[in-house]
Amino acid sequence: MKVETSYAGSIAVAEVDGRIDSANAKEFDEELSAIIGKGVSSLVIDCGGLSYISSAGLRVLLIAIRRTNEAGGGLALCAVPDHVREVLEVSGFVRLTKVFATADEAKESFAQ
Amino acid sequence: MEDRLDIEVGLHRDAPRKAMERFEQFALGHNLPMGLIFKFQLALDELLTNAVSYAFEDDKGDEVEPSISLALAVTDSTLEATVEDNGRPFNPLRDAPVPDLSLSAEDRRVGGLGIHLTKAFVQTLSYERVDGRNRLNLVQPIGAHSEEQR
Repeated sequence: MKVETSYAGSIAVAEVDGRIDSANAKEFDEELSAIIGKGVSSLVIDCGGLSYISSAGLRVLLIAIRRTNEAGGGLALCAVPDHVREVLEVSGFVRLTKVFATADEAKESFAQ
Repeated sequence: MEDRLDIEVGLHRDAPRKAMERFEQFALGHNLPMGLIFKFQLALDELLTNAVSYAFEDDKGDEVEPSISLALAVTDSTLEATVEDNGRPFNPLRDAPVPDLSLSAEDRRVGGLGIHLTKAFVQTLSYERVDGRNRLNLVQPIGAHSEEQR
């Protein structure tokens, strides 16, 4: 797994590449916590390169959703591959976070 | 490519991932559809991760060596798997907490989500306790996944 992040004020876009499972969920949590710890309240996770996510990764997303909500922003996903989207739907995560086609659309949703 | 594969999974945090790499090779070697591979892998990963995390947490150094195993088989019409551990008796199909998907992020708990996904993604699941081992059987029809999911 690789996470590359770009920042614009309180909004950040994190591009996640690879797979997230129980073997590396802790590292994913540390990556997202570090981003939010830099004063980011609105976090976009670009899932274009995300090949796989298990419930261990969903747990990390849930924590990040809570923390960004508390900070007055939120968490949005974009470019979600079909297989990953099905995981989000079955687990009810599409109710907890917005899903956009592109990172720009996700960023705009926070700017409004 | 063999139609069967037996994997001794191990107990380390990375053990489910290593087993899933071997599952993927096995499934790709049988030209199974990507959609089926993804969902079945998620189910196996969740069951193995549960076993690694919880099956031996009460272990008091008994005489029995802890073990987790995965057996895979492909037939003309099905992909099948058996997940076994010799840890404490636990039937996740019956005893795992059922997540309330209607709750907000603040009130949600992630417990049980792995089993929820497993049940959603595998057509036939069964549990039995045999000779001091938890045994979960998974059966997925191969024809149930259409061409566009390849």
